[in-house]
Amino acid sequence: MPTDRLIDIFTLMERRTRGGTSLATLCLISAEFLGLDGSSIVLSGDDGEFTSLCASNSIARALTNLEIVLGQGPTIEACRGAIVNEPSLLDAPERWSLFTPRAIELGAQAVFGYPVRLGGVRFGAISLFRLGSGQLTGTQEGDAYLMASVIGRAILADEAGGNGGGLVGELGGESRLDFVVHQAAGMIAVQGSMSIRDALVSMRAHSFAVDWELAALADRILSRESSFDPQSRTWRDESDRADDGN
Amino acid sequence: MARESLLIASLVEIADNLVDDYDVIDVLTVLSDRCVQAIDVDAAGVMLVSPEGALQFVASSSESMRVLELFQIQVDEGPCVDCYRDGSAIVNHALSEGDGRWPRFTPRALAQGFRSVHCLPMRLRGRTIGALNLFRTHQGPLAEDDVVVAQGLADVATIAILQHQSSLNATTLNAQLSNALNSRIIIEQAKGMIRQATDCPVDEAFNRLRAHARNHNEGMTELAARIVERVMMPSELDELRGRAAT
Repeated sequence: MPTDRLIDIFTLMERRTRGGTSLATLCLISAEFLGLDGSSIVLSGDDGEFTSLCASNSIARALTNLEIVLGQGPTIEACRGAIVNEPSLLDAPERWSLFTPRAIELGAQAVFGYPVRLGGVRFGAISLFRLGSGQLTGTQEGDAYLMASVIGRAILADEAGGNGGGLVGELGGESRLDFVVHQAAGMIAVQGSMSIRDALVSMRAHSFAVDWELAALADRILSRESSFDPQSRTWRDESDRADDGN
Repeated sequence: MARESLLIASLVEIADNLVDDYDVIDVLTVLSDRCVQAIDVDAAGVMLVSPEGALQFVASSSESMRVLELFQIQVDEGPCVDCYRDGSAIVNHALSEGDGRWPRFTPRALAQGFRSVHCLPMRLRGRTIGALNLFRTHQGPLAEDDVVVAQGLADVATIAILQHQSSLNATTLNAQLSNALNSRIIIEQAKGMIRQATDCPVDEAFNRLRAHARNHNEGMTELAARIVERVMMPSELDELRGRAAT
């Protein structure tokens, strides 16, 4: 059962993408959801490289490019795990000595950044800016955390090949940020000698393929009815329990 | 130990923990343990509100699946959800078969041997941020001063979350809630890895993680993150000696 704020995000997704969801629209949705002037999402690779996933408008795109070239700024700081709250760039010229003056020239006066993470998995960060200065309200800040968590799950659903319905299906279904899913991902990571991130992706791909809810697959992993075979790199599902009634 | 001495010892222990760079999940687990000892209940746990607006489990006096399941169900329905929504305590709710109030929660709680349930809101400046959940295997009312003690411990839990200063610069309540919830996910991911790699029951995986963190004066979340990132192997964790450290 999705909560009211998640339903608001779905509504924005509907309007932006006519039913489908693509990662590129997440910035537009984030900026609109929080009522701010722009948003960027940056991914951080294992090699320490940063790449832009999307930007909601030309200022956001210019800010992101600047950050990646200069190696400093709110999104990059958030990629490294910090929560960034800079309500007035004019009052903090020394925080990012290269980035800040150019960001002000581009029109941004307040910037905020949040890490995108799911447990120990770090994807990158989302940043938001405002043309005027000023703090976020508590509600906007809570919404930024919600967007950050939606983005993490959207990236996993996308990597699992879930087109369109994948993300909405996952967020709208029973299986949310569920500790059983994460425990199961830990088991699969060891079974398949893969990262937790790859385990979470593989579990999603398998749950689409066999049409089980992610949480149902997680329960099966915990009870050892489903497992990942390291030799063949395939899933093994014991018993046909889940096929009953089909 | 007499109840008063036990309570004072518990409060001193928790206050002592709050001084340093403490691990929020460890402190909330200590607090859940102390609830069981200081009040006449058999299991206790803490649920916190996520940015989605749904409750998520973060700490419990028991890491057995039978108890954790009861927190999992309460993401959707149960005494914690009601307590959170209304911001008021639920005390001495006797569980019985015909009780239609929580159709999923009640039968599971009864099947696990619990007969009554209590829930105290965790409130901060007019906002409810979670709930402390107490379970009893027998019916009969909690004494009035037990309820006062339980609410006091729920208030201490709230302070433990608010006071937590992590390296992430978390200066707002939303940031602290988000960090506490993410810590629990990291721990779940590591638990799954430990369970699979060392072939142990899942509650033992938690206890090993906790005991090792304490033995080496490290935060439990930090240790779990090192396991998730494969900087440390589950087999390198200290063996449990006899009963798990509390």
